[in-house]
Amino acid sequence: MSVMLTKFESKSNRVKGLAFHPTQPLLAAGLHNGSIQLWNYRMGVLVDRFEEHEGPVRAVHFHPSRALLVSGGDDYKIKVWDIRPQNRRCLFTLHGHLDYLRTTQFHHEMPWIISCSDDQTIRIWNSTSRNCIAVLTGHSHYVMSAFFHPKDDLVVSASMDQTVRVWDISGLRKGSPNAGPGNFETFDTFSTVKYVLEGHDRGVNYATFHPTLPLILSAADDRTIKIWRMSETKAWEVDSCRGHFNNVSAAIFHPKHELIVSCGEDKTVRVWDLAKRTAIQTFRREHDRFWDLAAHPNLNLFAAGHDSGLIVFKLERERPAFAVHQNTLYYIRDKYVRAYDFETAADIGLLSVRKFGSPYVPPRTLSFNPAENAVIVTISSDNGMYELTTLPKPSSAQGGDLKDSSVDGKKGSGMSAIFVARNRFAVLNKTTQIIEVRDTSNSVVKTIKPPVQTNEIFYGGTACLILSSTATVVLYDIQQQKTLAEVNSPPVKYVMWNADSSLVALMSKHTITIANRNFSQHSLIHETIRIKSGAWDDAGVFIYSTLNHVKYCLYQGDHGVICTLDNPVYLTRVKGKTIHCLDRSARPRTITFDPTEYRFKLALLRNNYEEMLYIIKTSTLLGQSIIAYLQQKGFPEIALHFVQDTNTRFELAIECGNLDVAVETAESIVRPDCWDRLAQQALKQGNHKIVEKAYQKTKNFDKLSFLYLATGGTDKLSKMQKIADARGNPMSRFHNALYAGDVTSRISVLRDVGMYPLAYLTAKSHGLEELAEEILEAAGLSPADVDDVPTFGQSSRKPPLVINPTTDLIWPSLSTGENFFDRALASGSLENGIEPTYTNGDAAAGSLAALDDWAKDEEVHEDIDPEEGGWELDAGAEFSASHEVQEEIEEEELGAGATPGISEAEHWVRNSPLAADHVAAGSFDTAMQLLNRQLGIVNFEPLKPLFLSIYRLSHIYLSPVASLPPLQLHVRRNPSESSPSRVLPVAPRSLQSVRLEFADGARDVAGNRLVNAQATFRSVLRALLVLVLNSDEDAKQWRDIVTTAREYLLGVSIELERRRVAQEEPDNIKRNLELAAYFTHCQLQPVHMQIALRSAITVFGKANNSAHAARFAKRLLELKPDAKIAATARQRVAAGERNPRNAIEISYDEFTSFEICAASFTAIYKGSPSVQCPYTNATFQPQYKGSLDPLTELTEIGASASGLPAPW
Amino acid sequence: MDSSELYHVKQQFVLGAYKTVVDLTLPDPNSPDYIPTLIYQARSYIALNNPKAALQLVPTDSENVALKAVATLAEFVEKEGTTDKEASLEELRDLAVEIESDDVEGTDRDKATVRVLAGIAFARAGELEEALETLGVDTEDLEAVAVIVQIYLSINRPDLAKKEFERSKRWAEDDLLLQLIESIIGLVTGKDGYHNPYTFYTEQLGNPSLSSPHVLTARGVTRILRNEFSEAQSDLEESLEQYKDDPEALTAFAVASGLSSAKKGETNANELWARLTSEYSNHPSVVDLSTKSALFDDAMAKYTVPPLAAAA
Repeated sequence: MSVMLTKFESKSNRVKGLAFHPTQPLLAAGLHNGSIQLWNYRMGVLVDRFEEHEGPVRAVHFHPSRALLVSGGDDYKIKVWDIRPQNRRCLFTLHGHLDYLRTTQFHHEMPWIISCSDDQTIRIWNSTSRNCIAVLTGHSHYVMSAFFHPKDDLVVSASMDQTVRVWDISGLRKGSPNAGPGNFETFDTFSTVKYVLEGHDRGVNYATFHPTLPLILSAADDRTIKIWRMSETKAWEVDSCRGHFNNVSAAIFHPKHELIVSCGEDKTVRVWDLAKRTAIQTFRREHDRFWDLAAHPNLNLFAAGHDSGLIVFKLERERPAFAVHQNTLYYIRDKYVRAYDFETAADIGLLSVRKFGSPYVPPRTLSFNPAENAVIVTISSDNGMYELTTLPKPSSAQGGDLKDSSVDGKKGSGMSAIFVARNRFAVLNKTTQIIEVRDTSNSVVKTIKPPVQTNEIFYGGTACLILSSTATVVLYDIQQQKTLAEVNSPPVKYVMWNADSSLVALMSKHTITIANRNFSQHSLIHETIRIKSGAWDDAGVFIYSTLNHVKYCLYQGDHGVICTLDNPVYLTRVKGKTIHCLDRSARPRTITFDPTEYRFKLALLRNNYEEMLYIIKTSTLLGQSIIAYLQQKGFPEIALHFVQDTNTRFELAIECGNLDVAVETAESIVRPDCWDRLAQQALKQGNHKIVEKAYQKTKNFDKLSFLYLATGGTDKLSKMQKIADARGNPMSRFHNALYAGDVTSRISVLRDVGMYPLAYLTAKSHGLEELAEEILEAAGLSPADVDDVPTFGQSSRKPPLVINPTTDLIWPSLSTGENFFDRALASGSLENGIEPTYTNGDAAAGSLAALDDWAKDEEVHEDIDPEEGGWELDAGAEFSASHEVQEEIEEEELGAGATPGISEAEHWVRNSPLAADHVAAGSFDTAMQLLNRQLGIVNFEPLKPLFLSIYRLSHIYLSPVASLPPLQLHVRRNPSESSPSRVLPVAPRSLQSVRLEFADGARDVAGNRLVNAQATFRSVLRALLVLVLNSDEDAKQWRDIVTTAREYLLGVSIELERRRVAQEEPDNIKRNLELAAYFTHCQLQPVHMQIALRSAITVFGKANNSAHAARFAKRLLELKPDAKIAATARQRVAAGERNPRNAIEISYDEFTSFEICAASFTAIYKGSPSVQCPYTNATFQPQYKGSLDPLTELTEIGASASGLPAPW
Repeated sequence: MDSSELYHVKQQFVLGAYKTVVDLTLPDPNSPDYIPTLIYQARSYIALNNPKAALQLVPTDSENVALKAVATLAEFVEKEGTTDKEASLEELRDLAVEIESDDVEGTDRDKATVRVLAGIAFARAGELEEALETLGVDTEDLEAVAVIVQIYLSINRPDLAKKEFERSKRWAEDDLLLQLIESIIGLVTGKDGYHNPYTFYTEQLGNPSLSSPHVLTARGVTRILRNEFSEAQSDLEESLEQYKDDPEALTAFAVASGLSSAKKGETNANELWARLTSEYSNHPSVVDLSTKSALFDDAMAKYTVPPLAAAA
């Protein structure tokens, strides 16, 4: 055990008692100063303090299911506390003990509390009735600890009297004892000492049961820890663990592993192997003695209390080592490498790494290499080791023992080791600061001195490494041995690449750096809580987990919460709505979540409006937060589309300047301040119509008037005057008059309000003498009275003329262009969906299925006989055939004068007796010989295109080295084979493809395109010549298809001949009839046979051969044709029965079996001599022997042939 | 150690990203990278079958042997098929002798380049023995090894090629070119189901600092060899999209289409083939096929075709 990971530490008074909360991250600590602290150890905060005890608190324990805490102090009191923050208080106090309390504990199912005290008793209390229900007496000194058995009705106690006692309390369960106070005698009948364990030489401080096994552990002042075993009848000492050099305060079993953890006054926490009783690890503290120890019931967490506080620690890393490749997660659980298929959820063990490194330390990292199907596992024990092992094929792992990595694993030392290429891995030696690049045989091919102090290395993309240093991360090129880029970051602990390796996430304890693949751009995310793991979503969003959350992070640094977690998980992969992860015990789990929010944000970032629209239309999410987000990110116009609430809509509309929406919403809101703001916004945009409307709504006459003045709306101004008049507001009237340049009304306003001097002067200065007189008169003055008034010149002042009335014009406002959303939303075109490129991976799944289908097609004849391998003597040797050659050449000088070797094509020729393979090799000569010998082919002319195409398809060219003539490469049909004595060329045509072609021909027959059909069938028969067959089954099918093609070809040829006869020799009805009849004797499929028969019926019917026609009709009926056809056929049968005669005598005897001569189209009745085509077995009249087969136009009729060889 | 710019140029060149190399801006003429970069550019032009451009690029007045060699190679390629090519070959022969003496302008690197270029020219002229001799049996220049290996492979001596490769593995630390050489050998021998070249090319496709249709073609070819025809088709299609005038990609695409079981593939293949024959009549695949066609006619002539059986 080389790690003891401190998770949390606190400073306080001496800690004497500790307890973990079973479900929440809470820890209770009883302090020597009388206080009880409640810590959230995950967040590192003090949640609460309970301070009612007087004197030290040594005993604390949480209720297993309720929010209760029990404590016991040196004030002899037991207190039960409600720890819920809203009603935290001491619920009750139990009195009875007569000295210091040492431990308290709730029972796991009964409402019982057990306590022990320096008064030498153990008491059990009923927490419901709050009575003491049992007092266990027997110890003769302080009782230091007393605990219930986790399942059975047993209690174990430890005492300063040097004994450990096991008590049977099953009596307590049988019924509530009539517990009168002070009635101690009755108690004893319910509880008896079962065993007294003697063996410690000093007082025992602590004794506890094993959670599952019948074991007891005790810790004593004699510096030993003893392990005891119990049976039904007795208990005995098993062994002692020695090592502490002072009093051992406590010792507990590890809840999951075969380990013991102990602590003592020698300032150490020690870990022991339960099976071997040997010390594994010691953790020392400088000054503090340890007093108490607690183990979390479910998690790998421990707490230890010491003189100046407490520590919470883990014994091992929980992060499982894992690697993801395509759909498979490779991970290590319980020291087995396992493979988990994300799609099928199949989870299988592949490899044991039990013998690798220390048995107590789980492997730290795993790197998977798909090319070699190998893994590198690292472990931190022994100062860091790695092991490279190939994984067995999953099939071989089924059943039987798993492969053990020690069998062929290649080991070495180094802190981190990862694959960097298909056949290279890099190993970091942290102490010497050297990175070695090794090949798969574990030999060093390169050594690198990293440019920075490197703590860990990660894959950095092709031929690159990521080096994690204390304050930076470095992208390092292995080939060039130089630093490509450097980014500042706290020590990076994990690195995750996205699917297309364009982005990488560098995770450290509290930060994530998202960088592109050459580190030229990056963004940083800070977390206050520890970051545990992360994985890339298929859309390029990084999903990560902290101690208590799953979060997402977009590449530009935006992040948010997806869900909360009870316990940390290690994300392995995110696909669509599913997060795959490993939990703390390395079991694969999935979490389903809703990615809409970040998908939307991502779409927003990428301006992918289709996607956004799709999300808007299809999801129901999008509350205030997304609106706020959109607003904050400067997309109010998009936010507008989510909002129904008119107030928010108005705000957004104003913000994005969408006046139409703003007006619409303002009208429904009807609040003056809305109109005011709308007016402002509209004014900014120059939309004075809306400004006008807004001013009207708010009755803002002054501004309205001014607006009219500004826009030159003179008639509106005069209206305003009238309004002002009606309102009886002279000031407004005056203003409007002034704006309108209407002197008379100005004067009349002045007059109306009695401002005669002004009215007079105004009239005077505008040359309105009469009016001036009138005013004077009205004021009761004469011109003489105003003599002293200076005379002003004629005023020409008036509002500027309207040159270009803009009243009806709206000036160009902010973006008037319809945006994408308006269009899409308006047209509703999304109803039938502008599908985004991906929809949570569904599309991808679809295309995968399609690919599978393709693959199926191609797999048809690739099944290579597994037995084949058995024939070969040394499949391992790559050049078995040329070995000898090589040896000879060893002598001759390498380089100049090298003689050419045997070409691949030649190997093909040597390896195969099939014509097709010879054709592919370009050895047309031998191919022809083979075809001639095997199938009697003599006319090769029609085969030329076929030969050339096969040859062409078997060779490709590539120039790997510039300007050299390209290298000819040869396509093999058995690519897994590399021994020259077994390689064979690719087979361009398969039975399958030939069958398809045949089907084309058959369709032509049905469609009455007989000439085409004839050509197709001939082509089929040609293709069949150069087919590669792999098995007897193939050969049988091949023969079937040859025969069928021949029959069709024959049939089509007969029918063509019949048509020729009908056309050219219309009088030769006899021949016509014969051919029609023969056609019906070709072996056709029922569909096509129906055609032949119907044609025959028609022809014979016309010729009045009703008897024959009726026969054909009967045969037709046997084929169960369509109702309509059947009806006519029945008529024909009936007609035949009425008139069973044939007008024309033909040479056709359907009752004797016969073959049809494929050259003359005459019947060759059974027993008559005939010759065959050596290829198709078509039958001919004997006189055609030696001529060219007219059907296929390939073979010599009657030639001898050996048939196809069977090379398989 | 090369400067990183030069390293990149070399990497691009090795992986067949000739277009990219050609489009690079040359470094300052006084920079030590200048001549090597220039040579790579010229070689890229030659590889793109544009020797004229290479000739234009190389200054005629330079005394540098490597530059002279590259110019001569360009001339040779240009005149290939005419009788003039002998002159260029002679010139290369002279250069190859010249570099043995000490008083020649050029670094060791330049001298190695001369050998490689001369070797290429000899190999093109079919003088394989001479090529091997020029390149040297114990060369420690990886480019020379690459040429040697390909020559061995072209004469069906993968055993010798492997030996050469094993030899260079000892001194050429895990170089990219060495990996390429390994994968070429893999392509020919088909060891482990073409696993090595396949992963090599896949890996290089993932290389951030490079995009080369050649690598795509190479992977497509590898996939054909692995009998993964439809995947190969998509690789080659992509390659042709990036650079449509590559006869190799075209040939390979025609093969992949023809071998994929789809009906359409066959007609497609025939069309592609017709295009190849008309546009690249000098490509070895076209030349080879026409020889085969002649061979067929010869072989066919050995059989006498009897008269067609027909009804009297």
